[in-house]
Amino acid sequence: MTRGDFLGFGVLGAIFGAIVTIPPVAFVLSPVIKTDALGQSDVPDDWFEVGPISEIPEGEPKNFVVEFPVNQIYSEEEIINNPEAVKTEGEVIPNAVWVSWKTEILEGGKLGKTQRPAFVGEGGSLSQEQIQEVTASLNVMSSSCAHLGCPVRWLVREGEGLFLCPCHGGLYGINGEYQGGPPPRGLYNYTFEVRENGMIYVKHEFDIEPGLNKQQPYVV
Amino acid sequence: MGMIGRVRSQAVDASKLVTDWMEHRTGIVTMMEHFLFEPVPKRGAWIYTLGSLTLGLISLQFLTGILLLFYYVPTTDHAWNSIYYIMNEAYFGTLIRGIHYWSANFLLAAIGLHMAQVFFSGGYKAPRELNWVVGVILLLLVVVIAFTGYALRWDQDGFWATVVGMKIGSYSPFVGGQTIRFLMGGDTIGPATLSRFFAIHVWLLPAALAPFIGIHLYLLRRHGVFGSEFEYTERLAKLHERQRLERFERYEEEDGEPNTGRRDRADRDGSE
Ligand code: HEM
Ligand code: FES
Repeated sequence: MTRGDFLGFGVLGAIFGAIVTIPPVAFVLSPVIKTDALGQSDVPDDWFEVGPISEIPEGEPKNFVVEFPVNQIYSEEEIINNPEAVKTEGEVIPNAVWVSWKTEILEGGKLGKTQRPAFVGEGGSLSQEQIQEVTASLNVMSSSCAHLGCPVRWLVREGEGLFLCPCHGGLYGINGEYQGGPPPRGLYNYTFEVRENGMIYVKHEFDIEPGLNKQQPYVV
Repeated sequence: MGMIGRVRSQAVDASKLVTDWMEHRTGIVTMMEHFLFEPVPKRGAWIYTLGSLTLGLISLQFLTGILLLFYYVPTTDHAWNSIYYIMNEAYFGTLIRGIHYWSANFLLAAIGLHMAQVFFSGGYKAPRELNWVVGVILLLLVVVIAFTGYALRWDQDGFWATVVGMKIGSYSPFVGGQTIRFLMGGDTIGPATLSRFFAIHVWLLPAALAPFIGIHLYLLRRHGVFGSEFEYTERLAKLHERQRLERFERYEEEDGEPNTGRRDRADRDGSE
């Protein structure tokens, strides 16, 4: 084989190799390319309604279900928004959101004072100051356990409540703080805002404290 | 000769005719002999069936899996319903799905036992190292197939097991995030997730499994099952012979004769 042959085969091999491998690999990896390289998300970067603050009791969290629209295969945005398209399940992913008033924890685990502002539930629209106060007093938590993602639920035993994870027994307090079991930290908080109408809105992302790995948690 | 004897000898003749005919045209009989007859050590022969058990269970997975595909629908809005149909409407649906489910569980146990047998008998040693490597690849493929299959149920069990499994994977260094976004088909679980798990469970990995099973069996046939190269009775005879000689030498020692070994003694016998 001559030098020319060798180079020729090398160049041809590289071209044909690229032709047969790039399309299938890019095809299969397109969601990874779109999310990791292009920074796109399957869920629109909007605010989604959670529920009214007036429904949140004291000393107990309230569960709301938020239906995030998801752009995947048969639930692409154009199809979801087209009134003539046949509606299918799987266009939304329901996420359970736990909301509670920040609560003081006394020694021995008993619940102390709740930061529920007195004006909540009076009706009427909220002023900017009131919104700020409410925002500072709320825990808006993902139901997804900080261990490996199972949905936690609120369990009351002998008057005391805790979030219990069904998978490996992770425990959290009413503020989402870590109480026991395998989770490495407390529950994740959603990025949220409160509006004049007294409703909570969330984005499909977590408000991760500085210093933590921004990429976690990977499964929302 | 009675009626039954006559019929029997006629049947034997006929089958001989058929096998001879096939043998001349295809060589199938020699081929079958080559594939099916394998010398196995006499002792503990049963333990050598663990590999065949694994192969049998994998075949069962393929057969029942293909049957399940007649009804299973891999979409988020219909997957659960289609399994409900399999379980409640299709004849023997519980049997077919039950076999797929239980055989998947027993399969992993069988692989574990099979590996333990190879490990403790030293069957992974030269020249069979590569067959151990291929076996580990097969194990990983089966584990991933079992993981992706569980998601296909799309019920609470399957769904959350999948979430947990993916989160475990997400903690892998460097590629964790990409790996699970590849599996989820985006940055959330959704319709794409189920489609991908389906494609991986039913097509990609079973297709990858088949050639590795082929290589595994080819290498097995090339070197034979470990232990077949020495007949155990022969080794035992050699051992007894050695023990006898040793006892003899010790006897000589006690008798006051110097222990000079066999060759020396033979030399001395000659010189006397
Ligand atoms: C090593 C081979 C395989 C293993 C270990 C395996 C394992 C599993 C497991 C654990 C499930 C969940 C069953 C359940 O919880 O009900 C499953 C489901 C399923 N598998 Fe497989 N499988 C294998 C091969 C295959 C093949 C080759 C096919 C098709 C060609 C297939 C098709 C399916 C289908 C359609 C389902 C969904 C139905 C159901 O969940 O019952 N499997 N598999
Ligand atoms: S997923 Fe909640 S404790 Fe493991």
